Amino acid sequence: MPKKIMVVDDDPYIVDYLVNVFEDHGYLTCRASDGLSAYDVAMAENPDLITLDLEMPNEWGPRFYRRLTQEDQFAEIPVIVISGLPGIHMAIKRAVATIKKPFDPTEVIEIVRKALSETDED
Amino acid sequence: MSKKKLLLVDDEEGIRRFLGLTLMDLGYDVETADNGESALKLIEKVNPAVILTDIKMPRMDGIELLKAVKADHPHIEVIMLTGHGDLDLAIESLKFEAADFITKPIDDEVLEISLSRVMEKIQLKDQVREYTENLERLVEEKTQRIVELERQNAAAQVVEGLSEVLSSAAHEVETGSGLFNELPCLVSIHNRYLEIVATNELLKERLGDVVGMNSFDIYSDRESAGNACPVQLTFKTGKGQRSKENFIGKDGEEIPVTVYTAPLPNKNGDIELVLDISVDMTELKRLNDELLETQYKFQRLFDEAPCYISVQNPDYTIAEVNRRFKEDFDEPIGAPCYASYKHRDKPCEKCPVQRTFNDGETHQTETVVTTRTGEQKNMLVWSAPIRNAYGEIKQVMEMSTDITEIRRLQDHLTSLGFMLGSMSHGVKGMLTALDGGIYRLESGLRKNDQERVGEATAALKNVVGRVKKMVLDILYYAKSREIEVESVPAGHFLQDTAALIVPKAAAANVKYNVDIPEDMGEIKIDPSSMSAAIVNFLENAVDACEPRLSSREYCINVTGRDLGDKIEITISDNGAGMDRETKEKIFTLFFSSKGRRGTGIGLFISNQTIEQHGGSIKVESKPREGTTFSILLPRKPEIKKQPKACPCT
Repeated sequence: MPKKIMVVDDDPYIVDYLVNVFEDHGYLTCRASDGLSAYDVAMAENPDLITLDLEMPNEWGPRFYRRLTQEDQFAEIPVIVISGLPGIHMAIKRAVATIKKPFDPTEVIEIVRKALSETDED
Repeated sequence: MSKKKLLLVDDEEGIRRFLGLTLMDLGYDVETADNGESALKLIEKVNPAVILTDIKMPRMDGIELLKAVKADHPHIEVIMLTGHGDLDLAIESLKFEAADFITKPIDDEVLEISLSRVMEKIQLKDQVREYTENLERLVEEKTQRIVELERQNAAAQVVEGLSEVLSSAAHEVETGSGLFNELPCLVSIHNRYLEIVATNELLKERLGDVVGMNSFDIYSDRESAGNACPVQLTFKTGKGQRSKENFIGKDGEEIPVTVYTAPLPNKNGDIELVLDISVDMTELKRLNDELLETQYKFQRLFDEAPCYISVQNPDYTIAEVNRRFKEDFDEPIGAPCYASYKHRDKPCEKCPVQRTFNDGETHQTETVVTTRTGEQKNMLVWSAPIRNAYGEIKQVMEMSTDITEIRRLQDHLTSLGFMLGSMSHGVKGMLTALDGGIYRLESGLRKNDQERVGEATAALKNVVGRVKKMVLDILYYAKSREIEVESVPAGHFLQDTAALIVPKAAAANVKYNVDIPEDMGEIKIDPSSMSAAIVNFLENAVDACEPRLSSREYCINVTGRDLGDKIEITISDNGAGMDRETKEKIFTLFFSSKGRRGTGIGLFISNQTIEQHGGSIKVESKPREGTTFSILLPRKPEIKKQPKACPCT
């Protein structure tokens, strides 16, 4: 069964981009454009990994992440931060990786693959 | 001198009679006694001046008598009468203070000599006693004499000290340093031979080296004794002189002076030197002119300084202002500073002038003032104490420098720096979106997926549009431009502008209603910048309708109204709306509610353009209900000279 990745970013073109990249590598995807809707999407779609932008309207990435990881089934969910903000590496301490925009898609896939195989071993 | 009493003591009757007669012949009052004992008893009674006594006598001999007399009556002189062979005793008696001794048989001549010698001694002794008795009186006299001398001495010292000061003053004249040479006076010192002893530098400069010359040589027409110069008069009268004279200058010219002379007496009160202090009237006039010129210069400086300068009293009232202050503010003198300068009813908080009155330090503050022409100026204000001769702060000077231009530049620079930071973030997002478009285009082509290629192309087009807009915004901001107005038909202009957004609204599936009358008269605007400003509002309205809620039908209404001397454009949408904070910040540079899709420049520039035209913008908005922008534009722009670079400050 393929893993599902949730892409959270307020720029729909970037969401399209990441979704295409992940689908091209055989992952299932779901998407959200801000923190508020991302929570609902996560509850409905139950993703295995999240790529998260930091600055978004309504609710910023870190706050959404804190709220989501309070739910038991998402307590250990791997998160990859993808943002253009400078100095972001400490925004979410437990993030698997922090990727700066603009990014290299192969690098993103590499990190995603590693993160998902690690959760398999658990 | 009364007769001297004499006591003759001898045990031999014959000697007593014979010698007694001789002594009486010599003019003495003689008493006799036959031994020492009876002699002692008689002494009290007769009080003799001299005792003549035999040595060898019964009961009490002459030596014993001598001792007793000298013990009790030391002033009585005793002459010893000795026979042959007791010379030793006679000599011994001298040890006991006998006056003399006479050997028997007695030679009248010897007796007389001896007696007169003794009498002389007594006389001397009396004199000594007299002296001794007068000693106390003498000491008193002498003491008074000494005190008097001391007093005289002290007075002499005072005079001496005074002449020393004066001579050191004269020395300063000679050495060309010190007080005399700082005076605008010609100072000279003259001796009693009417010779010039010393002069100060200024005198030397004006009259040449006159030391050693005659006192009257420096005066014009004062050669003869009957026409004595003030120095000579001073020596003559012992009093200082004051007169108007003419000095003869180095080059023979006459120098009008007012002469003051003063006698300098020595210790004895004799006038040794005369001090001549002359005020050069031409010099005085020159100094006066110089002073006036300096005053004028300061006044000019005060007036022309590129600042507002005011001198203020402790009660905030203005005592004095410079010309520039007077030009830009109404009736400042006598009015409180806060009223005249700041148009306030109460003193400003942290008034620098008051702080200076309190602590004597200079203080600084920044403020905005409005001149009588309505121009707003950012001012940097400095205060400084003005003290009187006793160091008390009586007034405070306030100096305000116009820093409007600096502030504007500073704002501009801050904004530019801020922009670079903010832009880099937005640019990164757009670059990522560009990457995404290219990726999807490539993968679509590779997979021959037409749908994906189509989507990718559309995405790329959109992102490139955003990049273009951002670049243009930045370029617009970087260039501070003045508007260029021309007269255009308002209705047509607004209709054309509104039409520009039709495709975007259609693409977003937003209903777009335009209600602008054909004829709204002429309006004077800069069409290109005004069009861009209105388009910004329209684009924002479309953007506000995203993200879409499927249940809702979105629409935008654009209306134009003719209000006579103004026209009104209203743009309302029923999109996302804004909370109050967002609403208050929308015209702030680099504020964007659109996340990375906005640069935060658009509305800032729109607002700036409308302000440049003298227009105004009103915003009403409620979250999730929509936003209405009402723009009022005057027919003719009331052009503001310099729009503020950043309305956020």
